Amino acid sequence: MRLKDMFQVQTVSGQPVTVESVTVTPQSQALIVRLPIGGFVWNRPTAILVERDETAKRFPIVDITRILQLWLLGFSLVLSIVSLVKFSQRKERRP
Amino acid sequence: MIDARNTLQSLTDKGNEQLRPMLERIFAAAQPGAVFSEPVVSGNYTIITASEVTSGGGFGSGGGFGPATPSAKQQPGEEVSQSEQANSVGGGVGGGGGSAGRPVAVIIIGPDGVTVKPVFDLTKIALAGITAGATMLAVLRRARKASKG
Repeated sequence: MRLKDMFQVQTVSGQPVTVESVTVTPQSQALIVRLPIGGFVWNRPTAILVERDETAKRFPIVDITRILQLWLLGFSLVLSIVSLVKFSQRKERRP
Repeated sequence: MIDARNTLQSLTDKGNEQLRPMLERIFAAAQPGAVFSEPVVSGNYTIITASEVTSGGGFGSGGGFGPATPSAKQQPGEEVSQSEQANSVGGGVGGGGGSAGRPVAVIIIGPDGVTVKPVFDLTKIALAGITAGATMLAVLRRARKASKG
């Protein structure tokens, strides 16, 4: 099995929803991992395409929870590294 | 021996064949239909929820040969012939999987246009904050201890 077949990233458009003159087409991105003994799928919404009066506008879907989680993780990692470096410097300076 | 091996092979193939639909169900989560809900109409508003979906699973199979029943004539330490060994066949197939979903945003189509409202999961953020804080405290405490010692 080739690596390309094992890991796939797909961007797919869903069924459009039409309400009066507005057509909304949802878009999602999926990470698919195919293994001989199983598999894994991670699918997340990315945007919606809004068509009205022959004009199309893309509204991105922002995952605030995920962004905050990653921000917290990054902040704690940076703070931990900085404090470790400071403590080691202080230890070296001490006679 | 060959017959037993063939039986075992067919049993394993049969098991794998039965588990294939399960795998197909896991990969069905890659469709946009799994992420976006059916539109719900309430008055002048149409609401669609967008969720993040994760699913995974795996399966495995195994088998072996052995004597059907221990021979009464057989003495301890006595070697058993290959044909006797292949009297019985055993095999098994097992698998497991799971899936999870989390709402990410709500799409509202109304008279005043289309709006995308993000869903803020306070519980997840609080848990992440507690974990990050506890890890930082542990690192700081260890560093302080190391600098003293």
